[in-house]
Amino acid sequence: MELLRLENIGKRFGGVTALRDGNLIVSGGEVHLLLGENGAGKSTLVKIAAGIVERDSGRMLWKGSEASFRSPAEAAALGVAMVHQESLLAPHLTVAENIYLGREERSRFGWVNRGMILEQARRVIEQHQFPLDPDARVGSLSPAGKQLVEICRAVCHGSSLLIFDEPTSSLSHSETEQVFRIVRALKARGMGIVYITHRMDELRAIGDRVTVLRDGVTVHSGALADIPTDRLITHMVGRDVAAIYEREHLPGGEPLLELRNVSVKASRLSNISLSLRSGEITGMAGLIGAGRTELCRAIFGIDPIDSGEIRIAGRPVSIRSPREAVRHGIAFVTEDRQISGLALRLPIAANMTLANTERISPFGMLNLTEQNRESEALGRKLRLKAASTAQLAGTLSGGNQQKVVIAKWLFRQARIFLFDEPTRGIDIGAKTEVFEIMSELARSGAAILMVSSELPEVVQVADRILVMRQGSISGELPHGATQEQIMRLAVMESAA
Amino acid sequence: MKMNARLAQRLLPFLSLIILFVALSIASPYFLTANNLASVARQTAVFNTMALGMTIVIVAGGIDLSVGSILGLSGLVGTMSLEAGYPIAIGIPVGIAVGAGCGFFNGLMITRLKINAFIVTLGTLGIYRGMALIISNGLPVHRIPAGFAFLGEGNLLGIPFVVWLLVICAAATHVVLEHTRLGRYAFAIGSNKIAAIYAGIPVDFHTAAVYAIGGALTGLAGMIEASRLMTGQPTAGLGYELQAIAAVVIGGGSLNGGEGSVIGTLIGAFIMGLLSNGADLLNISNYWQQVIIGAVIILAVTLDEFRKRRQG
Repeated sequence: MELLRLENIGKRFGGVTALRDGNLIVSGGEVHLLLGENGAGKSTLVKIAAGIVERDSGRMLWKGSEASFRSPAEAAALGVAMVHQESLLAPHLTVAENIYLGREERSRFGWVNRGMILEQARRVIEQHQFPLDPDARVGSLSPAGKQLVEICRAVCHGSSLLIFDEPTSSLSHSETEQVFRIVRALKARGMGIVYITHRMDELRAIGDRVTVLRDGVTVHSGALADIPTDRLITHMVGRDVAAIYEREHLPGGEPLLELRNVSVKASRLSNISLSLRSGEITGMAGLIGAGRTELCRAIFGIDPIDSGEIRIAGRPVSIRSPREAVRHGIAFVTEDRQISGLALRLPIAANMTLANTERISPFGMLNLTEQNRESEALGRKLRLKAASTAQLAGTLSGGNQQKVVIAKWLFRQARIFLFDEPTRGIDIGAKTEVFEIMSELARSGAAILMVSSELPEVVQVADRILVMRQGSISGELPHGATQEQIMRLAVMESAA
Repeated sequence: MKMNARLAQRLLPFLSLIILFVALSIASPYFLTANNLASVARQTAVFNTMALGMTIVIVAGGIDLSVGSILGLSGLVGTMSLEAGYPIAIGIPVGIAVGAGCGFFNGLMITRLKINAFIVTLGTLGIYRGMALIISNGLPVHRIPAGFAFLGEGNLLGIPFVVWLLVICAAATHVVLEHTRLGRYAFAIGSNKIAAIYAGIPVDFHTAAVYAIGGALTGLAGMIEASRLMTGQPTAGLGYELQAIAAVVIGGGSLNGGEGSVIGTLIGAFIMGLLSNGADLLNISNYWQQVIIGAVIILAVTLDEFRKRRQG
């Protein structure tokens, strides 16, 4: 039986098109995989189905009739439930309380009847053989346990369609098996399941049908058994590559930063070895959750390494804090510049000089003339569009904010640059300018790591490409590698 | 347009102060007399000095609820040193040093134990007050040399000495905030602590330093208070923290950090001083004064919130 039909769905967020022509048909009793690169529009599509996001255009049918969910509650009432990547449960309440949160059976005077809730939850848990204790606090559960609670909650509320947004990205192998077992059981009872995943190795273990999104358009839909994994990857990345940025690719010089067998337990990085050479832009690709940002954080001393060695210009160093990293000439241009890159309520000039305030404050006294001259010069060099450097950083556009962050590290005269998604949220003109700045830095002898989810950018800008997968480096490719090659390393258990 | 709105917001506290001033001049014949104005200046000197310290703390994204207790403890220890026979030139620095020490201890707890400033200083609010009561046995210090009265009650060139002192402290605080590396770091830490850490700024050290400076100014305020009363009261400064915080907030400081200025704080403190003085002159009861000041605090913060929401 057909449950959900989404046709020609379009959705824009501000100036960004998330979906242009999203199509998805899900039937009861099937596990429908939804695949696509980072930013292909998978999450937006399912959020429309779950009532979290409203569509701009297109048609939605729910159980055969026109539908439009204006809120998650409305979607839930009609039988669509979503299991989120990040748990949305109340950690201080018990499993049973979470399952019935918002739907407590109340006695007179509005008292919540704990005993009844507990009893009901226990019945459902036993019936479906969830490995859960209804009386346990949710905060004490593993990520898998929390997901099971969310699933259990959806089941209790009589949902007929269950949407998983990358459920296993934070789960171990055995935990994944646990979730899979439940998913199969639900499927057998006739529920429809939409399953977003990035793990190509696990999809055949769970999926029946598959839909692939690319740049907001559904490019393939069909039975999973009919299509080899290679073809799926081609569908995911197979766009025409417009020329984004051309640069001369020269061989790198001396290694400025080397990692040897670096591991960080907390962020699941294991046994990473790499070297960043002077004059070279090293691209880093990988799916969200592969550990790319975590690696940058480890190098920058935010999550110091547990084992292995970091060498700078050939000498082993210990980096236990960002302060030490900065002293070693490392710059980190973070992906969330508003959260960790800029003091938005301070002027541009203050932000630009922040990492090297010493330079403009001999004996602790600020030389504001010097500060303004230096920051104006940096602004001109980076073609910053601002009335003056006295303007607050928070009033700038994304691209110009990024330039201020870069200027900060230029003023610090850093030699090793970690760029994490440097072009995220900035317009095309500014992207080209950011690449130009990176090239210029490389020409002047800096070593650059460019983490990017934009494969065309990685392919064109980087001198060589490292690919990460599940906390390790799964391979290295030279300049000239194709997007398919990169994607294969990013998603497959063993590199082809 | 945007600039005009910003400017209007900047000027709002100042305009309020002027309107209040003019209104009180009309409402009461006693208001605009040298005697009354000098008395306002003396009364507000203590709060003003504390509020200057609080400004730096709040700019750096912190809060110090223990300043009332710090004021009591430093005033007490300072006057005890006078009672013990030390000269005034030692006694006053002793009070300031006690304040700085208390502030530094707050900063140390906040950065080392990584506990919320609100909680730490709520704790030390009790601890410092308790220490003042313990070492004094709950009894005030009375045997103070007569010359000490000059600090709070004396005149220099016909103007209350505390006004000179306030001008100097305000200028110094302004310079620290706007023209030193420490001040720049305070703004950076308050505006975005993560960005400050990632820029390699020694955030913990400067956070502790900021609390120490706030404590030092509170220590000075404690000595002024002791001089005005000519006693070292272990219970001095009870509840003053709210006055100090209110002055900063009315003057445009943000409890989210990264915003605040010396001139704003002074205006805020004077608004509160005038409200209290005006209420006295107009025979409005003490009880109502508290209600009025409370309402003004909420009004000021509400206006600030509106401005931020508009800025998005």
